[in-house]
Amino acid sequence: MTGEPIYLDYAATTPVDPRVIATMQQCLASDGCFANPASIHIKGRQAAAVAGQARKQMAELLNTSAERIIWTSGATESNNLAIQGAAKARAHRGRHLITMPTEHKAVVDTFRALGKEGYEISWLEPDSRGLLPLDTLAATIREDTQLVSVMHVNNETGVIQDIRSIGSLCRQKGVLFHTDAAQSVAKLDIDLSTLPVDLLSLTAHKFYGPQGIGAVYIADMTSGGISPIMFGGGQERRLRPGTLPVHLVAGAGMAAAIARQEMAANARHVETMRDRLWAGISDMAGLTRNSPVDTAFAGILNVSAEGVEGESLMLGMEPVCVASGSACNSTSGESSYVLRALGRDDRLAQSAVRFSFGHTTTGKEIDVAIGRYRRAIDRLRAISPASASVS
Amino acid sequence: MSGFEPYNDVVRTLFENPVHAGDLQGSYAETLASDASESAGGARVMLFAGIADGMIAEMRFRVWGCPHLIAAAEMLCRDCEKGPVSRLSTFDRNAVMAKLSVPNEKTGKMLLLEDTLELLWAEHRSAG
Repeated sequence: MTGEPIYLDYAATTPVDPRVIATMQQCLASDGCFANPASIHIKGRQAAAVAGQARKQMAELLNTSAERIIWTSGATESNNLAIQGAAKARAHRGRHLITMPTEHKAVVDTFRALGKEGYEISWLEPDSRGLLPLDTLAATIREDTQLVSVMHVNNETGVIQDIRSIGSLCRQKGVLFHTDAAQSVAKLDIDLSTLPVDLLSLTAHKFYGPQGIGAVYIADMTSGGISPIMFGGGQERRLRPGTLPVHLVAGAGMAAAIARQEMAANARHVETMRDRLWAGISDMAGLTRNSPVDTAFAGILNVSAEGVEGESLMLGMEPVCVASGSACNSTSGESSYVLRALGRDDRLAQSAVRFSFGHTTTGKEIDVAIGRYRRAIDRLRAISPASASVS
Repeated sequence: MSGFEPYNDVVRTLFENPVHAGDLQGSYAETLASDASESAGGARVMLFAGIADGMIAEMRFRVWGCPHLIAAAEMLCRDCEKGPVSRLSTFDRNAVMAKLSVPNEKTGKMLLLEDTLELLWAEHRSAG
C-alpha cells in the first residue's frame, strides 16, 4: 500500500465525531452516568435522564415524539424487529408482504426467513434507475397485504425512493409501511410528522455516531403495531429487552443533535465532492454511472467500468478505501445483486466501485482518488483480454 | 495496527509490475496462443508464447481476474521465459498457491491458469 489511507466509504460507516466521543466518555467512568437506567437509585435515575435526553434528540432530528423511538443495536436489528414484528403482529389478518430485491441484506434475508415461515412475499422489480414504480406497487397490494418495506436511500447506488408517495399509497390501502432509512437519517430532511411512514429503521454509525446503536421509529405505539422478537425484560416498551447501553445511546443522541444543526452544510459539501469526483472520471470510456443523476443521494457515487475486474480494481486503487461490487473473495463469488437487479451484467456489476463521501472529505482526497481510479483502470484494461474492444 | 491482509508481498509486487502482460513483442518461427475462461462473467486467461530453437523466447499473458490470478500468470511467464519449451507442460499449482498464499476458495482461478497452459502445450504438440 502506498500513502496514507483515503477514506471514501462513509456509506459503510463513519468516524465518530469528537463531540460524540466526549459525550460518551461522560457515561463510562465511575463518576459518570454509567448505571443501568432501569435502576431506581440515584445513579440509575441519572443514567435514565441521559438516555431520555438522547431519545429526545433523536426524535427532534426526525420531528417526532420521543416515545416513538425504540433503541436497538443497529439497523440490522431494527429491520428485523420492524419487519418480523409487524408481520407477526398482523399475521391473523393476512400473510402477504411486499418488498424489493434491491433492499439491504438485512431486509432481504428477513423477508426470506419469513417466506420460509409461510408468509407470501412479493418482490417488486425496480425501474432502470432503481426506483419502485408506484403503479406496480398499487397493483400488487391485496386484501391480505400487511406490510410494504422499501428503503429510503439505497446503500449501493444512493437512489432515493419516493417514500412519501409509497407511504401515502400504503395508508390508502390500510397497509403498514416500513422504510430502512439507514442511509438517509441525518443526511436528508426527514419529517415524520408529515411523512406517511409507520416504521423506520436507523443506525447511528452512519452519521458520526458510535457503532452498535440504532433505533426503530414506530408511528403508532397504541395499536399493537409490532410484536417483540426478543424476550427477557421490559425495556423499550417490551419491544426490545436488554439493558440500555447508556454511552451508546448518549452518543447516538449527540450525533443526531449535531446532524440537526449541520445536515444542510454537510449535504452541500458531499454534493461538491461527488461532483468533483465525477468531473474527474466521467470522460473515461466504458464507464456506467449506477447512481442516477437526478434521483440519488449526493453522498454516494457508484460507477462501473467495462473491462476491469472489481477486486483487482480495489487493489489497484489503494490506498483509496472504497466499496466494491465484487465479492470475489467470498465463497459465493457473486457480484452485486443490487446492480444485477438494475440490469447490469455480472462483469459490469463486479467492476462497480461505490465512492461515498463525508463532511471530512477534502478536495485533495478526491483528486488523489481520481488519479488512482484512472491509473488502475488504464492498467487493468491494458492487460485485459477485452481491452481491444474498450479503448 | 495491521488487519487481515489478503495479499502477500509477492502478489503485490507481481500485481504492480506485470512486465509480461500484453502481446508478444517479437517475431518467431512458432507462436502459440491459448484462451480459457470460467463460466459467463468469470475470469479469463490468455497465454502467448514465441518459440525459437526449442526455447521459449518470449511469453506473455492477458488476464481478466483477481490480483492472485494476475500475479500467478506473471509468475508463470517469468518462470517459463528463456527456458526449454517443455516447461509449458509443467505447472506446479500447489507451489504457486503456496508462494502467493492463494486462499483455497480461489483454487478454481489457479486451475483456470493451469488449463490455459495445457492448451498452449497442446497447441505446440499438435504443431510439432
